[in-house]
Amino acid sequence: MKKSDSKAKRGTALRRESDRALVQQIRRLLALPPSKRTNFLRKRLPGGGSTL
Amino acid sequence: MFPDMTAEPWLILAARSFAKHRLEAVLIGNAAAALQGSPVTTLDLDFMFRKTPLNLTKLKRVADDLGAVVLKPYYPASGLFRLVRDRDGLQFDFMSKVDGIRSYQSLRSRAAAVRFGRATLLVATLEDIIKSKRAANRPQDRAVLPVLRRTLDEKVRLEG
Repeated sequence: MKKSDSKAKRGTALRRESDRALVQQIRRLLALPPSKRTNFLRKRLPGGGSTL
Repeated sequence: MFPDMTAEPWLILAARSFAKHRLEAVLIGNAAAALQGSPVTTLDLDFMFRKTPLNLTKLKRVADDLGAVVLKPYYPASGLFRLVRDRDGLQFDFMSKVDGIRSYQSLRSRAAAVRFGRATLLVATLEDIIKSKRAANRPQDRAVLPVLRRTLDEKVRLEG
């Protein structure tokens, strides 16, 4: 019981941390002018797939 | 060495070439969402335009100017024109119909003009991009929707 409680707590903490990181990233991007928010292009790789 | 992920050269090229040939189109999709502040990525630039004989001639001129070709990859009624350049993988998709967008004119009236180099590109609002992705409802659209909504929330919060 205790073990699953701690697993659930870890899951919640991870989700909260991930959400916080996303908001920070969005705020950093919004602080830039639109013409500087250009690092979004992935490149196709030969044989399929893509990379940043 | 990893390829550079900045879309700036493509955006400058598009803005310059559209201005030169007076082709009016609005940037949509993940590229537009990224310019509106969303941390999302994409492989190409998507545009909505009005499919008129004159615009198709202009599109051909833009392709010639960029050393690219215009393909019509899907069935003729799809309204998709793909401009591709093999040497560096440049790909611009032009669509005359977009899920969730009632008309080109309404999209254009809300779009923001963003300067790249000496010319500007029209960029769809985050609200329109969200509307379109919700209507398209493909797995890749559903995947980015929470990020787009979060960005819109932050924008609204910042703008008070």
